Amino acid sequence: MRRAVPATFALALVAGACVAPAATAEGRQIEALYTAFLVIAALVALVVFGLATFAIVRYRFVPRAAGIEPRQVHGNNLVEVIWTAVPLLIVGGLFAGSLAVLARTEARSAEPVVEIQVEAFRWGWTFSYPDEGVQVSGFGNPGPEIVVPIDRPVRLSLTSADVAHSWFVPRFLFKRDAIPGRTNTFEITVEEPGTYRGQCAEFCGIGHSQMPFGVRAVSEDEYRAWLEQASGDQG
Amino acid sequence: MSASAGLGAPLLVWLTTTDHKRIGILYGVAAFGFFLLGGLLALVMRLELSAPGLQVVDVQTYDQSFTMHGTIMMLLFGTPMVAAFANYFVPLQVGAADMVFPRLNALSFWLFLSGGLIVLSGYLVQGGPADVGWTGYAPLSELPYSTTTGTDLWIVGLALTGVASILGAINFVATIYTRRAPGLSMFRLPMFCWTILVTSLLILFAFPAVTTALALLLLDRRFGATFFVAAEGGDPILWQHLFWFFGHPEVYILALPFFGILSEVIPVFSRKPLFGYRLMVLATILIGVLSMGVWAHHMFTTGAISLPFFTLSSFLIAVPTGIKIFNWLATMIGGRLTFPTPMLFATGFIYLFTIGGITGVIVASAPLDFHFQDTYFVVAHLHNVLVGGSLMGIFAGLYFWFPKITGRALGERLGKAHFWLWTVGFIVTFLPQYQLGAEGMPRRYADYPAELGWTTLNGVSTIGSGLLGLGVLAFLVNVALTLRRPPDQPADPWGGNALEWWTSSPPPAHNFESLPPIRSNRPVYDARRAAEGGGRSGTAGPP
Ligand code: HEM
Ligand SMILES: [Cu+2]
Ligand SMILES: [Cu+2]
Repeated sequence: MRRAVPATFALALVAGACVAPAATAEGRQIEALYTAFLVIAALVALVVFGLATFAIVRYRFVPRAAGIEPRQVHGNNLVEVIWTAVPLLIVGGLFAGSLAVLARTEARSAEPVVEIQVEAFRWGWTFSYPDEGVQVSGFGNPGPEIVVPIDRPVRLSLTSADVAHSWFVPRFLFKRDAIPGRTNTFEITVEEPGTYRGQCAEFCGIGHSQMPFGVRAVSEDEYRAWLEQASGDQG
Repeated sequence: MSASAGLGAPLLVWLTTTDHKRIGILYGVAAFGFFLLGGLLALVMRLELSAPGLQVVDVQTYDQSFTMHGTIMMLLFGTPMVAAFANYFVPLQVGAADMVFPRLNALSFWLFLSGGLIVLSGYLVQGGPADVGWTGYAPLSELPYSTTTGTDLWIVGLALTGVASILGAINFVATIYTRRAPGLSMFRLPMFCWTILVTSLLILFAFPAVTTALALLLLDRRFGATFFVAAEGGDPILWQHLFWFFGHPEVYILALPFFGILSEVIPVFSRKPLFGYRLMVLATILIGVLSMGVWAHHMFTTGAISLPFFTLSSFLIAVPTGIKIFNWLATMIGGRLTFPTPMLFATGFIYLFTIGGITGVIVASAPLDFHFQDTYFVVAHLHNVLVGGSLMGIFAGLYFWFPKITGRALGERLGKAHFWLWTVGFIVTFLPQYQLGAEGMPRRYADYPAELGWTTLNGVSTIGSGLLGLGVLAFLVNVALTLRRPPDQPADPWGGNALEWWTSSPPPAHNFESLPPIRSNRPVYDARRAAEGGGRSGTAGPP
């Protein structure tokens, strides 16, 4: 029973918490980084659970040992240096990996193909394509849907009309906050055509769970056709 | 609960007491009362989330429930629980008769209790209690968006509890610096006292920030100021900085003291000294210092902070935390381990807290946090650290010190049932939430769509929370049954190390009739060996 429990932890940890495959170039890097973190996490957990389980099994009191005092060890400089230095090296590596991915998620291309301004409000979203004169706005279910071309960097500039919200598309493994008085700019490059559900991730009052939106990623041609039709609709 | 309260008017004794032990008990009982309330709110929320749709409460009530649950658990239960342990055991462990400022100590408690009741009084006003999340982010917490007076009561009440914590912290620092018994140098101080010292310093740095933020928010809401109103030149991000400058150290305020308790419990039940005492002290100080420089890891998605800096500082804090875990393991290895309930909780802590520490490193990486921030991954992580960590530490401490406080030992059978319900309940409740978060389920959602496939795991999680509730019930029954028995515990039932085990259980009003010579950080162990003629340690193993 005592051994089964640690084993369950280890299993839950290794098997647990899988993200859905990322649909953007940036998200794929985040996904790869996450996988690397999980591998290291499993190793660390294995060492700690292994040592703890070893201690419990091997050094459990048995009546035979009654009255015998264990050796009074106060410490050991060598092992203490080891378990200070090795974790330092590990987090150094994790930091390097994180920096590399950050360089990608925070990069801004010189010429984004599409620029979209996003304004969050209680409880919905307004998306506008200033260059093309197209606006999509909506609230409630299923919420507004924007269309973007695949394989091109799309730049979004995010702000809020009232309280803080957060623009979150799980399949992009990405979110950014919409904060009143500020504009947050980021870029995504969708690589897989499809329609992706987005939602608000910053608590914004009673409609917080009821402000989804959609991002439909299509080929360049379909995107042009959609723009044409949308700008026509809006006169 | 007290031995001498029978005469005169016991109520008056408790109301006017300045005895650190009684104040400790008052803190503990009040905090635990708040815990039961916070736990009830948690069960209501878990019931609501067990299936898509709104079945149990409406959205506004849900929002108020997580606000009050988070606030209660962090500030009306967790922090005062630290004060409870510290009040009772710091003076005993340093061999003092009381705290340096006994009346200030009483003031801290009554300020805390009034503040807590003011926060709760939100349930009595028309709009209900605060509905802004325990983080109270502006501008959602500004008047146009949060209209209930409950939010003002939340502000005022929390400001009072903040002052209470600051006064308490001054008292602990002063007591540890100036009231140590002859021979008890800083490097012979029990680890629990070290962690309380560092925790108190953290409180002194961190709480003024949130008290300030709360004052500014009240000015905004009721007196026409615009500190956090963007349209009027204020800045909502300023609130986040002030809040987390307090909020992150707060997380360590709810962790370090329980690291301290583990460092007391594990050596006793391993029959060995704490492995690497000096490195443990250093790690405690390092965690304290580093925790002041990581606050903005809660703000990775705001686009308003340095991502590399706060990623690195947050990663670094994992190193001293890891040191602690390895030193506990090294204490156990080579020992003679027994597993009465306190040791079960301490061992469980090592397993569960490790998972929470690891997932903490995941969310500390800014790019990964872009995905996990504000999802159930974070809910799982924070409860992993608090329920699988701090609460395990609290229960380890309660079972360990209950004989000292009351003269009676808690029952082992119910204790073991409590431990297993709590451990299994934790796993079933919170591990599925990591998966929910990875799939993108945001936190603070009263409801979620059926078609996203989140229903099963949410149902499992709700079942787990029932097990946690049963665990608490087992504990309460245990306490009730134990208190009905006459006191029978000797001064040192476990074979302890620090000075609290030198005096009777419970200790007399002035704590000590005598003190043993103090020549190491285990004076009671030394005295026991000297009494045995320096030979084998004949202390009978606990049951
Ligand atoms: C013992 C069983 C517990 C259960 C079943 C539980 C359950 C929950 C639930 C359902 C939420 C709301 C999640 C959401 O809608 O985002 C929540 C939030 C929270 N819990 Fe717990 N909880 C427990 C214990 C604790 C403890 C012991 C602490 C702290 C010491 C704690 C601290 C928090 C905090 C800080 C929040 C965030 C509140 C907010 O979003 O404003 N919980 N918990
Ligand atoms: Cu929202
Ligand atoms: Cu933090």
